[in-house]
Amino acid sequence: MAARAEFLERIRREVAKTPGLFGATPAPRPVAPAAAAEAIRHELAERWPEALERFRQEFERVAGVFHRARDLEAVPEVIAGIARKLGVRQVVTWDPAALGFDAAPRLVADGCAVAAARAGQEDEATRLRHREAAAAAQLGVTGADLVLAETGTLILLSGAGCPRSTSLLPDVHVAVFGRDRLLESLEQVGVMLEALHVDADLAMSGATINFITGPSRTADIELTLTRGVHGPKEVHAVFVEGP
Amino acid sequence: MSDALLRTPFPERAGAALKDTFLQEALTIATTKFIDLRKEAFAGFPPGEALRDRARAIKEATLQHLDVHLERLADSVERLGGIVHWAATAEEAREIVLRLARDRGVRMAVKSKSMATEEIDLNEALEHAGITPVETDLGEYIIQLAHEKPSHIIAPAIHKTKGQVAELFSRELHGAFAADPEVLTAVARKALREKFLQADMGITGANFAVADTGTVVLVTNEGNGRMVTSLPRIHVALMGIEKVIPSMSDLVVFLAILARSATGQKLSSYTTLVRGPRRAGELEGPEEFHLILLDNGRARQIASTLREALYCLRCGACLNVCPVYRQIGGHAYGYTYPGPIGILLTAMLKGNGSVRELAHASSLCGACKDVCPVRIDIPRMLVELREHLDREKIAPWSERMVFRAFRRLLLSPAAFRLSARAGRWLQRPFVRAGRLRGLPLLFGNWTRTRDLPPVAARTFRERWKELG
Repeated sequence: MAARAEFLERIRREVAKTPGLFGATPAPRPVAPAAAAEAIRHELAERWPEALERFRQEFERVAGVFHRARDLEAVPEVIAGIARKLGVRQVVTWDPAALGFDAAPRLVADGCAVAAARAGQEDEATRLRHREAAAAAQLGVTGADLVLAETGTLILLSGAGCPRSTSLLPDVHVAVFGRDRLLESLEQVGVMLEALHVDADLAMSGATINFITGPSRTADIELTLTRGVHGPKEVHAVFVEGP
Repeated sequence: MSDALLRTPFPERAGAALKDTFLQEALTIATTKFIDLRKEAFAGFPPGEALRDRARAIKEATLQHLDVHLERLADSVERLGGIVHWAATAEEAREIVLRLARDRGVRMAVKSKSMATEEIDLNEALEHAGITPVETDLGEYIIQLAHEKPSHIIAPAIHKTKGQVAELFSRELHGAFAADPEVLTAVARKALREKFLQADMGITGANFAVADTGTVVLVTNEGNGRMVTSLPRIHVALMGIEKVIPSMSDLVVFLAILARSATGQKLSSYTTLVRGPRRAGELEGPEEFHLILLDNGRARQIASTLREALYCLRCGACLNVCPVYRQIGGHAYGYTYPGPIGILLTAMLKGNGSVRELAHASSLCGACKDVCPVRIDIPRMLVELREHLDREKIAPWSERMVFRAFRRLLLSPAAFRLSARAGRWLQRPFVRAGRLRGLPLLFGNWTRTRDLPPVAARTFRERWKELG
C-alpha cells in the first residue's frame, strides 16, 4: 500500500503542474448504456441485411470463409461439410446449450470425435481433459456474441460453457451467429461494450472478450504474409438465416 | 542494448548500417510497404482524420488526470481479483516479476511482444534467475534465438533474410528447414505450441488499459497474445502508466486508428480484452492475474517538455517515414525504442544525456508528425531537446562553440556582413564546379557526404542596397 500511495503522490505532484496545458476531454460515455444498446439493436433489426452483406465482404477480404444455414437445425450439416472437406477427425465445441444446436451426433456419424464444454462442469479433471481435447482438435465450434460488419470481425465473450481456447487452439475455427448479433461500426461496439460492463459482475460470466478478424497471421519473415502462425489457419462464419 | 554497442559512437554505428547492403534493401522494402499500406488504409476511411484528433484529445485529457485514472484502473483490477503492483523504476519492475516467478516455482515464462519488457531488460533478469523466458511473437522468437534485439517496433526481425532464419532454426531447433517463410512459420508454430502448453507464467505488455472496467487490451496478429493470457496459470501484464484510458468508448477510437497506422489493417487479427483472472464457471484462463504499473521516468514528463511523447501508441508509423530510420534501421539507434519517437522515449527513460548524439539523428522534415496517429509533434520536441542539450552543456564543446559563434553573427549586422566577405575569400580553395566540397577541420564532417552552395559573389544584402 505504501508503494501505491507514494507512486500516486508523485503523479499527483506532476499533474498539479499541468493546468492550462491541456483542454481536452475523453470520448463521452453513453449516459444510459443499456438504453443506447437497445436503440442500436432496434435500428439493426431493420438494417441487418446491409450489415450482413458488408460483413461478408470484409470477412472474405481478411480470408474468412462465409456460409449460410437455413436455421439452427441445418448448422450441424454445414459444420460437417467443412470438417469433411478438411479431413477433420477431432472437434471441440462450446456448450450446445449456449450454441442452440448440437453438432456432435452429425459429426460422430462421420467418424469425428467431439468434445463439448459444459457449463457447470469445471472441476480440475474436466479442466485437464478439456485442455487436452482442445489442443488435439483440428476444428473448434463457437458462437459469436457480436459481429462487426465494418471490419469483418467476430467478437466472442468467454464464459461458462464458452471457453476461450475453442477459437484459438484448433487449426480451423467455425463461428455460428444469427442476425441479432450484427453491428455496423466500431462506435456501436463501443456502446455495446459500455452496456456489457454496466453491472460488470452480472453482465459477463467470463474474463475475456476476443475480437477476431480473420485467421492468425504474420509477416515477420521478409514481410511474406503467412497464415496460422499460432492460432487458426482458417476462420469460417456460419450465418443462420432463420430465427 | 549491450554496452559494447553503445560504446561505439553513433556515427560509427550508423556508418556500419549504411554499408550493410542487405539491411539497406530490407529497410527500403519494409518501410515502403508499410507506408503504402497505411496510406491506402486512411484513404479509404474518411472518419480517420477526425478520429486521430479525438484520440489525441483523449490522451491529453487522460494525462491531465492520470492519478485519478490509475487509481480507478487499480481499483477495478483488484475488484476482479487481480493484483496491482507499482513499479517506480525498471529495477523495481524486474524485482516484482522475479519475486512472483520465484515464489510460485515458475521455470518457464512465455511472452507476447512487449516493448515495456524490452525497456526493463526483463529477459536477461529472468535468465539470471534461472527462469527461461520464451518470446512467442515470430519476429521476437527469431531475434531471441539469434541473441539480437528488435530493429523495428512492429516488425522486430526485418533485418534478417529467410535464409538466415532457416539457418538459425535448423541449428537451434535441430532440423533441416527450407528457406521458405511458410515452412519456417510452421516450424515455429510447432515449437512454440509446446511452450504455451508447458509454461507456468505468461507475460504480456498492454496496448491499452481501460480504467472503468480494469481491462487490459492486447492487439496482435499471430494470436500469441491470446495463448499467453489463456494457457499458463499466471498472467503478468506490464504496462507504462501512460497506457491507461478512461473508458470502452475511448478504446474503440484508438482501435479504429492503431492497426491502420501500423500495418494498414482495419483491425489486427486479434484484439484481446482481459479482465483479471478466470472467473468462477470458466474452464480456462489463469488462476492469477498481476498488473504491474511502470513509471520509469514517465511521470516527471507529465508537465515537462517531452509530455507529448507519452501519447505514443507504439505503432511504428514514424519509423517507416523517417529518412534517417530508413537508412540506418533500428539497431544503430542503440536503445530499445528506435526512430524519431524512440529518440524522445530514450531521453525520457534514460535521461537527456543519453541522446547527446541521437538528438541530431533527424532531418526535422516533419514526416513523423504527419503520420503519427495522435499527431505527436516530434520535430518540435527534438529541437527543444537540442536546445536543452546545449543549455545544460551536455552537447559537445565544439558544437556549442559553433552555435555560439553563429548566434553572434546573426545578432550583429556588421559582423554578418564581414563574415560574408570573409567567407567569400576563405571558401576559394574549396569551391569546385560551383559547390563547396571537402572543407577542412570540423567542417569536413558536413562536406564528407554532402556539398553546400558557396557564399554568393554578391550577397542578397548587397543587391538589395543597389535596388534601393
